Amino acid sequence: MATLSLQNVQKSYGGLQVLHGIDVELEDGGFLVLLGPSGCGKSTLLNLIAGLDDISAGDIRIDGRSVVELAPKDRNIAMVFQSYALYPTMTVERNIGFGLEMRGINGIERSAAVKKAADLLQISHLLDRRPANLSGGQRQRVAMGRAIVRNPDLFLFDEPLSNLDAKLRAEMRTEIKRLHGRLGTSVVYVTHDQIEAMTLGTKVAVMKGGYIQQFADPQTIYEKPANMFVAGFIGSPPMNFVTGTLTSDGRLARFEAPGVRVEAPMSSGEIFRAKAAVLGIRPEELKIADVTGSMLTGTIDVIEPTGPDTIVTVRVGDQAVVARLPSRFSSKAGDGVYLRAELAGLSLFDAVTEMRIQL
Amino acid sequence: MDTGSHLPKTGMIGELSETRYWIYLLLLPSLVIILLVIAYPTIYGMAISFREMRLTRPGLNGWVGFKHYLVMIDDPVFWVALKNTVLWVTFAVVLELGLGFIAATALNRNVPGTGIFAVLILVPYFLPNVVAGHMWALLLDPRLGVINDILVRIGILNSYKAWFADPNTALAATIFVEAWHGFPFFALLLLAGLKGIPQDLYKAAAVDGAGPIAEFRLITVPMLKSVIAAAVILRVISLVNSPDLLLILTGGGPGDATQVLSLYAFQTAYKDFNFGYASALSVVMFVILMVFAYAYIRLSKIGRE
Repeated sequence: MATLSLQNVQKSYGGLQVLHGIDVELEDGGFLVLLGPSGCGKSTLLNLIAGLDDISAGDIRIDGRSVVELAPKDRNIAMVFQSYALYPTMTVERNIGFGLEMRGINGIERSAAVKKAADLLQISHLLDRRPANLSGGQRQRVAMGRAIVRNPDLFLFDEPLSNLDAKLRAEMRTEIKRLHGRLGTSVVYVTHDQIEAMTLGTKVAVMKGGYIQQFADPQTIYEKPANMFVAGFIGSPPMNFVTGTLTSDGRLARFEAPGVRVEAPMSSGEIFRAKAAVLGIRPEELKIADVTGSMLTGTIDVIEPTGPDTIVTVRVGDQAVVARLPSRFSSKAGDGVYLRAELAGLSLFDAVTEMRIQL
Repeated sequence: MDTGSHLPKTGMIGELSETRYWIYLLLLPSLVIILLVIAYPTIYGMAISFREMRLTRPGLNGWVGFKHYLVMIDDPVFWVALKNTVLWVTFAVVLELGLGFIAATALNRNVPGTGIFAVLILVPYFLPNVVAGHMWALLLDPRLGVINDILVRIGILNSYKAWFADPNTALAATIFVEAWHGFPFFALLLLAGLKGIPQDLYKAAAVDGAGPIAEFRLITVPMLKSVIAAAVILRVISLVNSPDLLLILTGGGPGDATQVLSLYAFQTAYKDFNFGYASALSVVMFVILMVFAYAYIRLSKIGRE
């Protein structure tokens, strides 16, 4: 168990800077998710924490101790790879115990530790097999066994579930969460899957282009995204963006677009004069309303029932808005519809900078 | 499937291509060529190993059964050639594998500029055996050779040495030339193999605390096993069967110091015009190679993976 502190971490390859001053603090026993699309630098950052690549500037501290000068094996970390990276010629037992073997732990102690880890992951019956004779899910468990057997300060996961099918992925996600709760070891977890980020993380760092876009707990990231990139990356179906104008007198703000009118009290006191702005509404925040309480007025374009609820695309002015509505939905395409949402569930962004506007 | 009947008629070939006979028809041209240039000569060669067939003594021609094979048992040159073949092939392959591995590992580092080295390293392999042979014959020439000159100047040799004329150095010198000529073959195949090893394995080993030797032994070698096995088999077959380099460098001499089976068979056929005995020698080589390949594949266990 340990804290992790990244201070102004930078990485360049030749003239190409791929990480621009990353600052992250993770509490003891926390679960940090590095979330972002391909090429955002999240795996590079994980490799720097592991010591598999050299940092260009900044500092990495595990439990308050700088580790940038230490080799990967001396950082007391354990890593789980997307490809599992099991040694093909070794049995499962030796794969799991290999880290201990390399550290000179004797055979008896090693078998006991391997057995304990294997029991925890329910792979005791596989110990004599070789990786080639295991299924994807079993390999994943062996890879995790190899990590937990060492009892490290920090677990590093590099997209560990990406090679599994959807059902197994959900199972292993739950398993990882259970293991984290049981072992209490701090975790850094790289993924591009926002569901994994939301379900597992105590802290989420959303990354893009080598910068952290937002670093917060999952609920804050979901409810108060710092910018339009974060807002669009988290949530499925994604957040609706409606472009329009924002006007305020310092006490009341009004957002307007064809078919849209939202008024909200404000505390910042800022004055806006028909500022170009983007209103962000999550599909699940939208409800059917009557004329008087409506915020959006439009015509139903497409209705897609999914079972538990119905995804409805509504044409509002010349923009499309997607709403996730209850499955008992009686209207049909072409009908007019009024929609509303709680003010707390709305986000406003500057249309130029794409940053969140605090009212 | 009954889709065929709904398709528009495209003539006889169109209909034929829907049947399984089409496959045989497509295989036919290559089958004919293989039968003509490989199967027939091989079987004919085996057949004449049981016949007397000397162009110098046409009157003796006829079936002689196992005579050539029995003669071979008492033929001292055959046993010398067999021993030399084993030495020549073993040392050449070991050297080539070693040099190839070093070259492949270096090229796999992706250091800027290694692209040029990759091409340069392949140059020896691009040279035909005959050209490489003549080049090294000149380089190692006892009177004009630049290598003798260099070795004398830096004090390793007292005087110029006839490398290919001394029975003590001739075989070693030819092995050296062959290793130079053949190592790019291994470098190329091993480099392809190295590129195919997932980097995550090395990362996992670094985190687990495995040193470079453990990484090499537990990751690199096992992951390259199939490539190494295939390359060694191919190279052994090609070395056992090719007399050209030795023909140019030494012609099997001095005495029989560099005589190998392929060269002995070649000379028996085309110098002595004794095709019956030459065929018997070739059949023995064929059997030895078959046994080698089978044993090697079994021992290296590549069939199981």
